[in-house]
Amino acid sequence: MAAVTLKNVVKRFGVFEIVHGANIDVEDGEFVVFVGPSGCGKSTLLRMIAGLEDISGGEIAIGGKLVNDVEPADRGIAMVFQSYALYPHMSVEQNLSFGLRMNGNPKADTERRVKRAAKILRIAELMKRRPRQLSGGQRQRVAIGRAIVREPQVFLFDEPLSNLDAELRVQMRVEISRLHKELGVTMIYVTHDQTEAMTLADRIVVLNAGNIEQIGAPLDLYDDPANRFVAGFVGSPKMNFLAAQVVGNDGDATVVELANHGGTRLRKPLSGAPPAVGAEVVLGVRPEHFFDTGEGDCDIAVKADVAEHLGSVSYIYANAGPEELIIEREASRQRASGDHMVVSIKAGRSLLFDKSGARIR
Amino acid sequence: MRYQNATAYRFLAPYLLIFSIFWLWPIISSFLISFQATRTVPWRFAPTFNWGRLIGDPAFFNALKNTLLILVIQVPVMITLAIVMAVLLNSPLLKARGLFRFAFFAPVVVGEVAYSAVFRLMFNLDYGIINKLLNSIGLPRIDWFSNVTPAMAVIMIAVTWRWAGYNAIILLAGLQSIPQDVYEAATLDRVSKLKQFFYITLPLLKPIIVFCAVLSIIGTMQLFTEPFLITERGGPGGGTETLGLLLYRQGFRSLNFGYASAIAYTMAGLAIAISLVQLWLTREPK
Amino acid sequence: MSSRSASSRSSSSRSSSSQSSSRLGRSIALHLFLTPLALIWLFPLWMMVIFSTMPDRGIFSPSIELLPHGSFLDNVSNLQRDTNFIGAIGISVSVAVTYTFLSVLLTSMAGWALARYQFFGKGAVVAIIFGTITLPYAVVLIPQFIMVARDFKLANTWVALIVPPLFNSLGVLFMRQSFSMMPGDLFDAARVEGVKEWRIFLFVALPLARPMLAALAIILFLASWNNYLWPLLINSKPGAMTAPVALGTLIGLTKVSWGGIMAGAVMLTVPMLVVFVLLQRHFVAGIAAGAIK
Repeated sequence: MAAVTLKNVVKRFGVFEIVHGANIDVEDGEFVVFVGPSGCGKSTLLRMIAGLEDISGGEIAIGGKLVNDVEPADRGIAMVFQSYALYPHMSVEQNLSFGLRMNGNPKADTERRVKRAAKILRIAELMKRRPRQLSGGQRQRVAIGRAIVREPQVFLFDEPLSNLDAELRVQMRVEISRLHKELGVTMIYVTHDQTEAMTLADRIVVLNAGNIEQIGAPLDLYDDPANRFVAGFVGSPKMNFLAAQVVGNDGDATVVELANHGGTRLRKPLSGAPPAVGAEVVLGVRPEHFFDTGEGDCDIAVKADVAEHLGSVSYIYANAGPEELIIEREASRQRASGDHMVVSIKAGRSLLFDKSGARIR
Repeated sequence: MRYQNATAYRFLAPYLLIFSIFWLWPIISSFLISFQATRTVPWRFAPTFNWGRLIGDPAFFNALKNTLLILVIQVPVMITLAIVMAVLLNSPLLKARGLFRFAFFAPVVVGEVAYSAVFRLMFNLDYGIINKLLNSIGLPRIDWFSNVTPAMAVIMIAVTWRWAGYNAIILLAGLQSIPQDVYEAATLDRVSKLKQFFYITLPLLKPIIVFCAVLSIIGTMQLFTEPFLITERGGPGGGTETLGLLLYRQGFRSLNFGYASAIAYTMAGLAIAISLVQLWLTREPK
Repeated sequence: MSSRSASSRSSSSRSSSSQSSSRLGRSIALHLFLTPLALIWLFPLWMMVIFSTMPDRGIFSPSIELLPHGSFLDNVSNLQRDTNFIGAIGISVSVAVTYTFLSVLLTSMAGWALARYQFFGKGAVVAIIFGTITLPYAVVLIPQFIMVARDFKLANTWVALIVPPLFNSLGVLFMRQSFSMMPGDLFDAARVEGVKEWRIFLFVALPLARPMLAALAIILFLASWNNYLWPLLINSKPGAMTAPVALGTLIGLTKVSWGGIMAGAVMLTVPMLVVFVLLQRHFVAGIAAGAIK
């Protein structure tokens, strides 16, 4: 078991810088998820930790040992690939044991490890099959099994669930969580799916365009995002962003006027320095944080455009001038498109961002 | 990806060694030899010795003329035939596809010597099966190997027979890589089969057709075995002598390496020119 | 190409009977055109076989013979009298097998390196190998001959037949293509497991490339088996000739058995035809892969 430390890690492909100085401390035994849109550099970062990509600048340490120039095999890591990367010409058993056999591991020990992995993942009855005779979920298990067999200090997962259908994905998510508890080793997991990140991670690293936007526990990211990008990326459906302007500051609060809602004003208490009067700002409200008329601190009127009724909740896609809002309501089963409705915003359940996207606290 | 210089060159080394000794160096060496007088030992540098002779040598121009003549007639005929073969073999209406494929593709495995022998025998004046068949349907027999035009025809027929199927294989693979739904869409738009061929198949196949043409031109340009064996060393009287044959004669009969190298580089120049034409023909439209 | 679309259309615009009758018409036209062409194409091969079964006086008689006779074995012994053809076949087989093995090994190693590693000078290596691929073989013929015959003194040896043709870069192109189409994760997975690079090549990459290796091997074997010009130049001594060269020396001689020559042509050709029929898929893949990139 080992901690993983990234210090100012940079990756360049030719003149293009893909990762701009990443600093991450993954603690021993922690489950950390790298999440971000495609092209944000999360997979590159993972492959650098694995040793499959050169490090253009900075340092990576695993278990306190600098590994910049250490071969992948000697880093004490195991990796599960998005495509599973199972050797198609070998049986499940051969797939699991291939690495150990190739490195002259004692036969008895190899057998013990393969048996253990098969037991943990419940794939003992598949050992003689070839990968193409397995279902997607089974392949996924074998790929994870191949990592377990290595008995690594750190597990690396590169979007392991993205080739599975929705139901299997949920199932495997639970499996991986269970595996983490059972093995207690450090796991680093890359995904573009924020739901996976929220459900699996002890801590999440949110990446965007080669920069780390925020590192924190899932609910901390949800409750207290550092900036507009994180606020928009974490949570589903996405947070709504309403254009607003600062019209005054009174004491420890600022008053903003919602530009597209007929001059509706909201008084928002702040802990830090208030923004300048007249500044354009953005008010972020999650779909689930709209309240019934009068319950919040200010009411806005909207017209429902499309209503999606999922049973437990309904999502109302509403228009207000140029803004489209998503409103989640539990008791709106009767709403249809064209309906006018009034919802309420609470100052304590909204977030304020400046024009550059930074949080105003 | 990581830089792995040592590993990569360990895998490359054996091939690169052979490649350098038997391909790369000879390309350079041949160029140098073409500027040397090689009839007397030691060889000496004489830049105009071979090249000067080349531009004044009627034998060279005869071989060049014959080679170009074969190119200009044989390659278009063969490529057209290969396209026809490929398109028809690809037709879903075709029965006994395996037999037809065998008939057209089988010559691909036949060696030059074997088929040269057969063609020589088939076109024999007195006892050749071709003349016997001509006679039996009341046509006069032809003295194939004593006159230049029929001798050239035999060479072209032989080469076409040997290589049309080869090109058809390449073209057929190209045809099969054209997505079916393009044709289905065209059929729904009531585009006739013939128009589909001219407006869909041919344009999509163009890069492969050009590739086949270039391959065939470069191959035919080096034609050696057929005039060597079928028409008896380029006969009658040099009428079917090709650049390949002239090079053989100069290099390995007269042991005039310098002059032969100059001939070889003439062929290389033609090949480069044709490759450039290919690049130009298959360039991506802007 | 039309069967699916035609049947889907038949229900809407045209009646299915006129549809099928026009298909029948086109089908008949297709076969009426293609059958004679196929027969013409098979004719030289057929005649090769017929000639090889006829005594010389039968070949040179005025009658038209289109069916096999029984003199094949006599012709083989005539051929053996004119030149040691059986010995030459032995040389040809040994050379082709060795050459194929070595060339597949060399070109797949090089193709692997070019497909799967990043290294200093890669661009230059690729440019030189593939930039010279269309140069005519004639260009290197003379220096190769001088080198092998005069400098290395290897004329009339097996080495001379096997080693120089190994420069062939089409195999490198083909194998590079094959390896780069494989998912890279597969090799990274092995790398993470600490498998050495040459073992990844041997135990992961090569087994996965089996169909491509088969196609390449067939093409290379055929090329070596039929190679004529280089063996003609370098191994012209009677006991060192390959089968095509030995057969070629007889063509044009006056006192020679043509039935024997044809028997030799059959012995050179028919085994390859059998291989072709059995392994047509690999054959076609090998030839087609040269063009479809």
